[in-house]
Amino acid sequence: MSNMMAQTINTLAVTDAQTVNAALLVSAILFACGLIGFLSRRNMIIMFLCTELMFQAAALAMIAFGNIHHDISGQVFVIFILTVAAAEAALALGLVVLLYRRRETLDSEAWSELRETA
Amino acid sequence: MIELASLSTAALHLPAILGEGAHAVTIPSAIASPEFAWAGLILLLPAISAALCGLCAAFGVKSKLPGAITAISLIAAFATTLSLYLKMPADAPRVVHLFDWIDFSWKTGGATWTQFLAPFSLYIDSLTLLWMLFVTGLGSLIAIYATEYMEADTGKGYARFFGSVSIFLFAMGSLVMGGNLILLYLGWEGVGLASYLLIGYYYNRPSAVAAAKKAFIMNRIGDLGLALGVFLIWINYGTLEYDGIFKALAHTADPASGASWSAAMIPYCLMLGAFGKSAQIPLFVWLPDAMEGPTPVSALIHAATMVTAGLYLIARTYPLFALEPHALTVVAIVGCSTAFVAATIGMAQYDIKRVMAYSTVSQLGYMFLGLGVGTTFGAVYHVFTHAFFKALLFLCCGAIMHGMAGQLDLRKMSGLRNVKGFGVISWTFLIGCLCLAGFPFTAGFFSKDSIIAQAFASGNPTFVTLGWLALLTAFLTAYYTFRVWFRVCGGPTKYEPGDEMHGHDDHGHDHGNGHGHGHGHDDHGHGHAAHGNHEWHPHGPRLAINGVLLVICLGAVLAAVPAYMAMRGEANWVETMVQHSSAALPSAEHGHGGEHAHHALSFTGIEDVHKATSVVASTVGILGILIAAYFHLLNRSAADKLRQALLSNSLTRWLPLAMENKWYVDEVYHVVFRFPASVLGHVFHFIDKHVIDGFVVNGGARVPLEVGRLFQPLYNGALQGYAATMAGGIALIAAWVFWIWLHGS
Amino acid sequence: MLSTLTSLLLILPLLAAGLVALSPERLSKWIATAATLVIFAVSIAFAWSFTGWTDGSIAPRELGLSIMPSLGVNLSLGADAVGAMLILLTTFLMPLAMIGSFTAVKEREREYYAWFLLLQAAMLGVFLARDAIVFYTAYEFTLVPMYFLIAIYGGAERRAASIKFFLYTFFGSVLTLSGVIYIAAQNAAAAGSAWSFDLATLADFASTKLSPTQQYWVFILLMSGFAVKVPLFPVHTWLPLAHDQAPTAGSVILAGTLLKLGTYGIYRIALPAAPVGVVELNQFFAILCIIGIVYTALICWVQHDAKKLIAYSSVSHLGFCMLGLFSLNSIGATGSVMYMINHGLSTGALFLCIGMIYERYHTKDMDQLGGLFKRMPVWSFFMVFFTLASLGLPGLNGFIGEFLCLMGCFTAEPHSVSGYPGVLGPWYALVAGSGLVLAAMYLLIMLGKLVWGPLKEPHGHDHGHGHGHGHDHAAHSDSGLPTDLSAREVGILVPLAVVCLAIGFFPKPMLTAIAPSVDQTLAKYPKLVEQYAHDGSLIKPTTAKDPRVAMAQPSSDK
Repeated sequence: MSNMMAQTINTLAVTDAQTVNAALLVSAILFACGLIGFLSRRNMIIMFLCTELMFQAAALAMIAFGNIHHDISGQVFVIFILTVAAAEAALALGLVVLLYRRRETLDSEAWSELRETA
Repeated sequence: MIELASLSTAALHLPAILGEGAHAVTIPSAIASPEFAWAGLILLLPAISAALCGLCAAFGVKSKLPGAITAISLIAAFATTLSLYLKMPADAPRVVHLFDWIDFSWKTGGATWTQFLAPFSLYIDSLTLLWMLFVTGLGSLIAIYATEYMEADTGKGYARFFGSVSIFLFAMGSLVMGGNLILLYLGWEGVGLASYLLIGYYYNRPSAVAAAKKAFIMNRIGDLGLALGVFLIWINYGTLEYDGIFKALAHTADPASGASWSAAMIPYCLMLGAFGKSAQIPLFVWLPDAMEGPTPVSALIHAATMVTAGLYLIARTYPLFALEPHALTVVAIVGCSTAFVAATIGMAQYDIKRVMAYSTVSQLGYMFLGLGVGTTFGAVYHVFTHAFFKALLFLCCGAIMHGMAGQLDLRKMSGLRNVKGFGVISWTFLIGCLCLAGFPFTAGFFSKDSIIAQAFASGNPTFVTLGWLALLTAFLTAYYTFRVWFRVCGGPTKYEPGDEMHGHDDHGHDHGNGHGHGHGHDDHGHGHAAHGNHEWHPHGPRLAINGVLLVICLGAVLAAVPAYMAMRGEANWVETMVQHSSAALPSAEHGHGGEHAHHALSFTGIEDVHKATSVVASTVGILGILIAAYFHLLNRSAADKLRQALLSNSLTRWLPLAMENKWYVDEVYHVVFRFPASVLGHVFHFIDKHVIDGFVVNGGARVPLEVGRLFQPLYNGALQGYAATMAGGIALIAAWVFWIWLHGS
Repeated sequence: MLSTLTSLLLILPLLAAGLVALSPERLSKWIATAATLVIFAVSIAFAWSFTGWTDGSIAPRELGLSIMPSLGVNLSLGADAVGAMLILLTTFLMPLAMIGSFTAVKEREREYYAWFLLLQAAMLGVFLARDAIVFYTAYEFTLVPMYFLIAIYGGAERRAASIKFFLYTFFGSVLTLSGVIYIAAQNAAAAGSAWSFDLATLADFASTKLSPTQQYWVFILLMSGFAVKVPLFPVHTWLPLAHDQAPTAGSVILAGTLLKLGTYGIYRIALPAAPVGVVELNQFFAILCIIGIVYTALICWVQHDAKKLIAYSSVSHLGFCMLGLFSLNSIGATGSVMYMINHGLSTGALFLCIGMIYERYHTKDMDQLGGLFKRMPVWSFFMVFFTLASLGLPGLNGFIGEFLCLMGCFTAEPHSVSGYPGVLGPWYALVAGSGLVLAAMYLLIMLGKLVWGPLKEPHGHDHGHGHGHGHDHAAHSDSGLPTDLSAREVGILVPLAVVCLAIGFFPKPMLTAIAPSVDQTLAKYPKLVEQYAHDGSLIKPTTAKDPRVAMAQPSSDK
C-alpha cells in the first residue's frame, strides 16, 4: 500500500534539479530578507512579518528537500507548519496589540526590562 | 632537660635499686568476691549525697541540710571502709564486680574474639584500703568542719559546695578502688572536675575562676599522658584490668631483656599523668593558685587526698615502673627538684595558705623521691602522715581566716595564741608545724626520714646527691614552717582584719542592683566588719571546727604509732599494708642499707644509715626551727634587714625576687605556651576567614560569576540584540559544521 | 510488623508536614510537637522490634516498592544497628527542637514547623535507605528544608549563609552521586545491563570487582561529598557560618543529625565500597582530621561569639570522630559511632543553651555577657553539665567515644605488636590528643566568661524595664521569658541530661550493638592493611602512574 503511494508521488514529483535549486535559492533569499528585516527594524508588526518570512522560507526549503529525498514528510510538515503559523499569527498579533496598548508605541525598544545592568 | 642528661650517667639496673631478687615479689591473682559487693556503698553513698545536694539546690533549701547529708554519708562511707578493712582477708586482692561499664568484643580479621573490657569493678587490696581509710576518714572530718566553716553561704552556695565535695569523694573512691585503668581515669578526671568546681567556688572573683580553669587544664595535660599510658598498656598487655596486667607481667617480666619501645614508654606516660595530678615539675603551678577555693577544700583536695592520686597511680602500677629503671630515676629527680624548688618559693610567701600550698608541693616531691629511690613504704607512709598533718595545718589556716575576716597575711597577724578563742588553733597548729618540719619523734619525721635514708642507703651516686638535696630541703621546710608559726602565733598580740573575701557567695556584688547592705542573712558579727561600721573583734571557732582540729591533731600524732611499733621490733602497720599490695618490694630491700658499713653519712660515726639519717635530719630540722625563731620571733626586724641587704646588692638581688615571684614559672609558661598558641589561634582564624573561606571557597564560587559577566554585554534587553546573538550563534555552528565537512574526519 | 514501622517512620513525618502546612497558624506548633512525639514513639517501637541489634545485620529485609524498574531502583527501607541508633537520635532530638522553638519563632510558624517535619522525613530517609538513589534523594533533600529554615528564620547574614550552605554541600554531593552512578554502571555492565542501586549489591560489587585504581577514584568521588558534610578540614567553612546564622533548633538539628549524614555516609557507603581507596588514602584523611582538630580548636580559643565557638568545636570534635573511623579497627570505629551519637546529644544541648541566652539578651557575644550564674543558676547548671559532656568527662556521654577514637588511632599501627590493623599509630594519636587539652581550654574559657565571674549584661538591657530595680521580676518582659529557665526549657534539657548521664555509665547496650555492625563493615580491612603496610601501596605502580587509563577503560579489568 505505502509502496504504491510512494511510486505515485515519485511520478508526480518535480524532479528537475534546476527547479529544486531555484526553490532553495528563493528560500535562502526569503530567510535572509526576514533575518535582516528582523534585526534592523524596530516596529513590532514589521518584525513579526519578518519572522513569518523566515518561517515561510523554512517551509519552502522543506518542500524542496522533500523533493530531493523523495520524501513526502517535507510537505506534511509544511501543512503542519502553516496551521501552527496561522494560530501563532493570531496570538502574536494579539500580543502586539496588547503591548501597544501598554506603551502606546510599537517600538520594541520600549520593552527592554530584561537588560542586565552591568 | 637536665634530668634527661643525667640519666645516661646514672644508667642503672633495677636490681641495683631494689636489691637482689627484686622480682621475687609476685602479686597474688585476685579473687572475685561478689560477697563484698557492699563495698560499692563507699562509692554509692557520696553519689547519692551529691544527687541529694543537687535536689537541695534545685528546691532552694535554705538550711544546713546539704552539709548534714554529706557529712552523714561520708561518715557512713568511712564506716563501710573500716568494716571492709576488718573483714577483708589479707591473702589476696579481691575484685568486686559492680556492673558492666565498657564492654564489647570483635573478631575483625581473625578467628578469635577480642574483648575490650572495663567493668565498673573494684580492686581491693591493702593499698586500696589504706588510701580509702584516710580519704573517707579525713573527708568525713573535713565535711563536719565545713558545715560550720561554710555557714555564711547557707542557701544555694552551701548545696553547691557539699554537692561538689560529694562528687569529689565519689570520684576519689573510683580512682582508688577502681579495678581497671579506665575506671581510674574516670576518677582521675572526676576529681579534676570536683577540684574545678570547688576552686571556682567563689565565682565572683575572676582570680578564682582563672585558678579553677588553670587547675583543670594543667590536669588535662597530665590526663593526656595517662590516656597515652593506658593505650600503651592495652597494646602491650591486651587488658586494662590491674589483675590482668599483673598476671601478664608475671609471665613476661624480665627486665634484662630489652622491652619494646612501647612497653618502655608506659611509665613515662603514666608519670606525666601523676605529675599533673600531684603538682610536680613541670605541672605544679596550678596547686598554689588552687588556694582560691574555700579552705576545707584546700585541706581535703589540695593537700590530703586528690594530690596524692599521682602517688597512688605510681604505687599501684609499680611493677610497670620496675621494668624500666630509668623511669624511677626520673621520678626521683623530678620529685626531689620539685621538693627543693617549692620549698624555696614557700620561704618567701606572705600568704599563709600559699606557704602551705608550696609546702604541699614540696612534700609531694618527697613522696615521689621515695617512690623513685625504691621505698614505696616510705612514700606511702609519708602520704599517710602528710594527709593528717597537712590537713590539720590547712584547717588551722582556715580557722584563722574564718576568725580574722579573711586575713592570711602573716605580716598582719601576730601572737594569736593569746587571743581569746584561738588557743586550740594555735596549739594544734604548732603540732602540725612540728610534723611538717620533721621535728624528732613526730609522724612527719619518721616518714620523711625513711625516704631520705633510702636515698642514702641505695648507694647510687645520683640518689645520694638527691639525698643531700632532700636534707637541704628539710632544713628549708623547718625554716618556712616555723616562720609562719612564730609570725602568726608567736610574738606580741597584734592583728588587723582582712577584707572578708570568703563566705560571701551571694553578697558583695549586688549593691549596684538595688539589694542594699542589710541583706537578711544570719551573719554573726564578722560579715560586714570590713566596711568599718563598728568595732571589729576576731571570733574564735565553735565546736565543729575546734573538735575537728583536735581529732585531726590526734590523728597526726597517732600517725607516728606505726613507726614506734617498728622501733619496738613489731611490724609497721603501713609497711604491712604496702607489702601486701602491688606496690610491694622484696623484704630484703628494707635491711639492705644496714649492711653498708660505709655510706654517705658515715661522718656521723653511725653505721646504720637509717639512724645516721635520723640524727642528721633532726639536726637540720632543729637548726631550721632555731633560725626561724631568730628571724621571726626574737628579732623580726633582722628578717627585713636581710631581705633589704639582698635586694640592695645587685649580685644577690635576683634571689629574693625570684623566690617571691615563684621563679617566674607562670610567666615563662605564658610566654612559651599560652601566648604563641593564642597568636596561632588568631592567625588560624584569619586564615580560615580570609584564605580558606574568603579566597578559596568564595573565590571558587566567583569563577562562574566572572565567566557569566564576560557575556553580560550580550544581554542588552533589546529584542534585536537577542536575535543577533542567536543568528550569530547559528552562524558559528554552521561554520563549524562546514569546517568539519571540508576537512572530513 | 517491623517493615510497617519502618515505612511509618518515613511516611508519618511527611503526612505531619502536610498537616502542619494546612493547619491554622496558632495550632501548628502543637501539631508539630505532637507529631514528633508520635514519631519518637514509633521509633521506640521500631527499636523494640528491630532485629539487627545483636548481629549487625540490616533489618527489615523486604524489597520495597519499585520506583524505576528499568534502573532497578526500589524504595527499600531498612537499617543496621548504627542506622537504628541514629534514627533514635533524630527522633529524640526532634521534639526537643520543636518545643525549644515555641518562643523563639513568632512569625511564619506554620511554615517553620512544616519545614522541620520535612527535614525529619529526609533525615530518616537517609538512615533508612537501602537503595543508593533513595539514599541520595533523601540526602540532598535535607538541603531544601534547611535552606529555607536558615534563609527565613536565621540571623543577620542568613541569606549568604543559606546560599553557601546549599551550594557548598550540593556541589560536594553531586560528585558523590557520580561516584555511585559509576559503580552502578560498572555493575550493570558486568551483570549484563541489569541495573541495581541496592547499596549492599553495589558495595559488594565495588569492593570485589573494581580494580584498585577504580576503587581509589571511586573513594575520592564518594568522599568529596561526605567530607563536605562532616565537615573535614579544609572544606568546613560553610559550617560556622550556617550554625551561626541558623535558628536555634536549626543548629541543634544541624549539629545533632545533619553532620552525621556525612559520617554515616562514609560508614555505610564509602568504607564498604572502596576499601582499597580507604586504605590508600587513610593517612591523608587522618592528617586532615588531625589538622582539623588542632586548627579549629585554636580558632575556638579566639572566638568571641559563643555560638560560633561551639560551631567550630563541632569541626574539631568531628575530626576525632573521623579519626576513629579511619583507624580502621574495631576500637576506633566503635568509638566513632559512639561519638556520632554523643556529639549530637551534647552539642545539640549546648546550642539549645546558647539559644536560651540569645532569646533573653539578643546577643551571643561573650564580651557582653558574663557571670550569668548569678542571674540564671539553673541555666548555668545545664551549661556546665553539657560543656563537661562535650569535653569528654568520664561518666558523661562524650568520654567513651572520644577515648575509644583516640585509642583506636593509637593502636592502629602498621607493624603493631598488638596485631590491630591500621596504618596510623601513636604519633597521630599524640597530636590529636592535644585536642583534648585544647578542648578543655576553649570550653572552660567559654564557661569562665559566660557562667562564672562578675555579672555582666549587655548595655541597656536593664534600663529597658523599670530603672533596674525590680528587674529580677520583670526583666525579660519583652520576650515573655523568666530570668532563669522556664519549666518548658528545663523540660527540654532534663531529658538530654538524663540520656547523657545514662550513656556515660551504661554504654554497654550501645557498644554491644555497634560492635557487630562495625565488625562486618571492617571485615575486609585487616588483610588490605597488612598488604599496604608491606608493599607501601595497593595500587600497582603501572596503573598508578596514569589512573585515567583505568577510568577510561573500566571493563578491561574484568
